[in-house]
Amino acid sequence: MDINIKNLVKDFGSKRAVDIDRYTVKSGEMIGLVGNNGAGKTTLFRLILDLLKRDEGDITIGEWSVNETELWKNYTGTFIDDSFLIDYLTPEEFFYFVGKMYNISKSSIDEKLEKFTRFMNDEVMDTKKLIRNFSAGNKQKIGIIAAMLHDPKLLILDEPFNFLDPTSQSVIKHMLKDYNEKTGATIIISSHNLNHTVDICKRIALLEHGKIIRDIDNSDYSAGKELEDYFEVKE
Amino acid sequence: MLLSIIRKNDKLAAKRNPSFERNRFAKFIIYFMVAFWAAYLIFIGITLALGLKEGIQNMEPYHVFNQFIIYLLFADFLLRFMGQPATSQEIKPYLLFPIKKNKLIDTFLLQSGLSIFNLFWFFLVLPFAVITIPETYGFWGVILYLFGMWLLFIMNNYWYQICKTLLRQKTIYLLLPAAVYGSILAVDLLPKTNYFGRFTMNLGEGFIEGNIIAFIGVISVILLLFIINRYMQIYLMYKELGKVEDSNIKRVSQFKFLDRYGEVGEFMRLELKLCLRNKAVKHQVRMGFIIMLAFSFVLAFTDVYNGTGMSRFICIYNYAILSVMTLGQIMSFEGNYIDGLLCRRTSIFNLLLAKFYVNCFILLIPFAFMMIPVYKGKIDLLMAFAYMLFTAGVVFALLMQYAVYNKKTIALNATIMRSNRGSSFFQTIVICCALFLPIIFNSLLSSLFSDETTYIIMLITGAIFILTHRIWIKNIYTRMMARKFENLEGFRETR
Repeated sequence: MDINIKNLVKDFGSKRAVDIDRYTVKSGEMIGLVGNNGAGKTTLFRLILDLLKRDEGDITIGEWSVNETELWKNYTGTFIDDSFLIDYLTPEEFFYFVGKMYNISKSSIDEKLEKFTRFMNDEVMDTKKLIRNFSAGNKQKIGIIAAMLHDPKLLILDEPFNFLDPTSQSVIKHMLKDYNEKTGATIIISSHNLNHTVDICKRIALLEHGKIIRDIDNSDYSAGKELEDYFEVKE
Repeated sequence: MLLSIIRKNDKLAAKRNPSFERNRFAKFIIYFMVAFWAAYLIFIGITLALGLKEGIQNMEPYHVFNQFIIYLLFADFLLRFMGQPATSQEIKPYLLFPIKKNKLIDTFLLQSGLSIFNLFWFFLVLPFAVITIPETYGFWGVILYLFGMWLLFIMNNYWYQICKTLLRQKTIYLLLPAAVYGSILAVDLLPKTNYFGRFTMNLGEGFIEGNIIAFIGVISVILLLFIINRYMQIYLMYKELGKVEDSNIKRVSQFKFLDRYGEVGEFMRLELKLCLRNKAVKHQVRMGFIIMLAFSFVLAFTDVYNGTGMSRFICIYNYAILSVMTLGQIMSFEGNYIDGLLCRRTSIFNLLLAKFYVNCFILLIPFAFMMIPVYKGKIDLLMAFAYMLFTAGVVFALLMQYAVYNKKTIALNATIMRSNRGSSFFQTIVICCALFLPIIFNSLLSSLFSDETTYIIMLITGAIFILTHRIWIKNIYTRMMARKFENLEGFRETR
């Protein structure tokens, strides 16, 4: 599913948070969005998801302009932060709730959840715990799984490696790559973890002060050096 | 130094509370309420002083007043539960600083002792003292009395801190204040006892006369409570910090009967879980139910509201009260996870439908209770039925309009006073309309038609709104979506 961004501008008071002339994500691409704090990554995600009013410009997902119709929501999965979780439900209840929103039966949800068994690591299901009582890492897992339950054609994840233990980080990396290769879904992730981003994303957008200043081809997974130079990562 | 930093941070926390900072109307309401209560207490203080002066000849007014100090302290104790946090709750952000824990606890305890809140009741005590004491003891008598009373409120503050901290550990500790105040009341109610009354009367007089023993006595109790608090806070600090509320739920209710109603049924299930699993919502619903049941019982089993006008008012109010408390805050709790909901198509419309259905269903409870006065012939069945339909149709349609404009998140698990409430102008208007419009409409119709015709018109009006609910809820949804970004920004800022 393509994403087209044209002349997108978002200001917060006098500060320009996002300013993108033109950017296209082609169907099936896996994009990593990197940039320092305040670069505008989360703001850009919120604009794409029509959760923030843009001052200028246009965003389309597939054939739909995001602010004119809600049809794109059927094909999009996303997890940005805790405000995407209904924290007084148990994980199972939340997954069934999300399933119902996409007309997926409980038995299908149970089947789909099996794919995430390793990622959940026996810490999420059958605990009789409400989501609000889980650790930040497990909340992150619940959010990511919920975003992927309906097999979205577009998956947007903000900092998916945050709070996760090393094993889970490795699992989610492989899971996202597999999902992209097997389903042809478009995936956009933002991350401060350059290694993980370089490992799985074939294209990397570098954001600074709301502008995409570099669009790096990482098809041979060699963008690490360029990113390290930009971020002045030193041994 | 540390004390002044903590005091400064406390003031900033209150001043920069999002609901206070961004909502001029809420700010006005808060100032107005404080001014109102201050004026009210001053009025009571003056009236009491003048009344006792004239009414009781063989006793000084302050003798009479001082006999009731224990009850004043009890009121103060209860009032503190509305907004004063336990020291252990406040200490967390400072624990990683290079400050000794004991010093930190002492400073927090000192801060709570010096809090301006301990002077709140001076609105009452000061005018009373100024009118009644100078005649006999002069200006110094007033100063000494006020100083003594201030010490008593500080003492009460530390007593409250002990109870509040213990209560945060286990509800069973409620027995401590219950036992203390229960014993006092029991002793006071026994004939020819009044030990506590006499004791506080003498204590008050001791203050006025500058009796050093009275002051030392109270200061000793303050010190004792301070030390108990200190040890208790140190002991419970780590328990408080590692506290996980409701870490496991005993039984996961599924409300399976809602499965057949599709997405709306799923939202109805969500609505029920919202009410059952979150402290703030649960408290609100419980309060609404208690008031509703109380009115139902009064209407059913007593003769208090026998007049037609009063019966009508109570009957309408009885139907509206719970929905005013829930729909009057519509979307505030959802503000906590609104982004997730908005990422799914049409879900908000179904959520609004679910809220409407759940509230309609709840109306059957007061209706069932209303059958008792109907059976007893106190009110008409037609009236009870007409008011129910009118509430479900017109009142709900009115209350749900607030969904369009509400942009304030209320924390799901905070207590009432700490949950970032505070009314907006539109919310106040909507709630007032919901409470008074049915009465006005009813009175207007009654002045033109017979009672029976009035009820039939109300019934039909309500039924029309119920039958067309999908249309007006769709309208609310469309208008909500038109204001989506503004509301989302508000929800995020007040989380």
